[in-house]
Amino acid sequence: MAAVSMSGRRALYNWRIYLYVLPSLGLILTFCYFPAISAVVRSFFEWQGGDYMQFIGWENYTNAFNDPVLRSSFVTISVLIVAGIIKMVPSILLAVLIHRIASDRWQYWYRVLLIIPMVVPDLVNIFIWKFFFDPNLGLINASFDLFGIKSALVWLDQHVLHWSAFRPDSPISWLNEPRLIIPSLIFWGFPWIGAMSVYIFLAGLQSIGAEVYEAAELDGASSWQKFTKIEFPLIMTQVRLNVILVVIGTLQGYGLQYLLLGPAGGPAGRGMVPGLWMFNRAFIAGQFGYACAIGMMLFLIIAVLTYFNNKYIRVEK
Amino acid sequence: MNTPHPTAAAAIRKRELPKHTAVWCILSLQLLPLYMMVQMSVKNNTEFLLNPWFPTAPAQWNWANFAYGIKLIGPYLANTVFIATLGALLTLFFAIMAAYFFARYRMPGHNLLWSLFITLMLLPGVANIVPLFTLLKSMNLLNTLWALIILGFAGGQVFNTFILRNFIEDLPKDLFEAAEIDGASHWQQIINVVIPMSAPIIGTLFILSFLHLWNEFMMPLIILSDAQLFTLGVGLIYLDGEYVKQWGQIMAAFLVASIPLIMIFLFCMKLFVRGLTSGAVKG
Repeated sequence: MAAVSMSGRRALYNWRIYLYVLPSLGLILTFCYFPAISAVVRSFFEWQGGDYMQFIGWENYTNAFNDPVLRSSFVTISVLIVAGIIKMVPSILLAVLIHRIASDRWQYWYRVLLIIPMVVPDLVNIFIWKFFFDPNLGLINASFDLFGIKSALVWLDQHVLHWSAFRPDSPISWLNEPRLIIPSLIFWGFPWIGAMSVYIFLAGLQSIGAEVYEAAELDGASSWQKFTKIEFPLIMTQVRLNVILVVIGTLQGYGLQYLLLGPAGGPAGRGMVPGLWMFNRAFIAGQFGYACAIGMMLFLIIAVLTYFNNKYIRVEK
Repeated sequence: MNTPHPTAAAAIRKRELPKHTAVWCILSLQLLPLYMMVQMSVKNNTEFLLNPWFPTAPAQWNWANFAYGIKLIGPYLANTVFIATLGALLTLFFAIMAAYFFARYRMPGHNLLWSLFITLMLLPGVANIVPLFTLLKSMNLLNTLWALIILGFAGGQVFNTFILRNFIEDLPKDLFEAAEIDGASHWQQIINVVIPMSAPIIGTLFILSFLHLWNEFMMPLIILSDAQLFTLGVGLIYLDGEYVKQWGQIMAAFLVASIPLIMIFLFCMKLFVRGLTSGAVKG
């Protein structure tokens, strides 16, 4: 449907149409744009959250650049971002597998099974994983013992890593051992299937007609070739989109770290990420102005990434 | 339709089997947390230590875990249902109106307004949290459930407007013209044309908004300080720190926290799968 164009007098006569967008507009101006702009302003002030504010210029930013915690938190988040991108692989594979199944009925049931875990609220899911990580009762240690993975890790630790984090005589304490914090944050959620991403990939795969597969089969294409030559190029748009979402989501996320490790980022602060540090500075240390500056830095990084993404990677809609 | 030759059918089955096995392996790992939660919710700690993996016989189930779980999080549940339901309804209310404006007409200022909306989908919200906190404080909304509802629909409507605009633009023009000839106002066109025609997508978006609000825990943690107003998220965070761990009871509380979502999925599963499959969220 082409939209009805209106201009000048006719638009003036039909001014009531604006009433339909005004409430939404008012809401986003008040609750999205106004806070964003005031964050810019307040990042130049020393501000404890009360009425009193003192202008200090760039001091919050220079402090941020010299803040060792913030610096190491950016290293941590970079590792988590790379891991997050790699963790998309199972979702892609699962989407391709489901797409290749001949029976429509089974495809439907697998889609249903895929969204069933969504009934568990995110927070509850994180808490269940926190329990899985428990050194004495947790399932991870139990299954690692069962499959002999623990002895492999102990060997690896003694001969290669020299972390002394995996010891033969004591259970692995995933969330209490500084060296294991980042591995735990990465391993969390195994096998890392995002129901929504799988659906998005499946929507992309649906555009491949049966005749494409038939032609590939006649040419004697192996299933790996079908994946690299047909399926993966067709979902490239969705994959890129997902990469962007993962990068942006990981950069601004800190709920997971908060729930698993607490507001200080766990033992030795190894799980500290920039978002959590912002939260920590504002609501625990009371340095609201400094927290705004950290927020602005994150904001700028994400804005630049989004800009380059839109400019150089064309995502056709 | 003719049935395939028996040997051909067997060949197909043989070719399909590895795929099915792989899918089942992945999906069963994915379903493991849910399975563990359900089977642990009726065990006490001793039973769990003896037998962590498999369910016990129904005769031994400790229903008392659930009584305890409901007592722990019942009040939080009510608060969260209130926020998620009202928040999701209002999200769609505002999104449908805005989408109608953008899809139906090109008014002066259309492009500027649209870019105000679309920019928000790209801009990170992380920098907002601190000033948002003081904004709510100055509006006297701190420590209220309304703060969470308002934030929910103010931010949530943007994504929904984006999806609905595309959908409304694809509706046949004749429907709107016929309605206009019959003298329908804009509001009547929304009620009688837009909502019935886009019911499946509205349903899917409602569920997504509801899930989003249900899952939120960082904002409630910052905004709410009164134990009476806690949402599930905040309540569970405090529980996690406070209690001597009786895992069965905690899992029962987790399961109770999931019940409203289970209900929604039971009733709307078909609609939801269809809505997502047809590309409601192509991104």
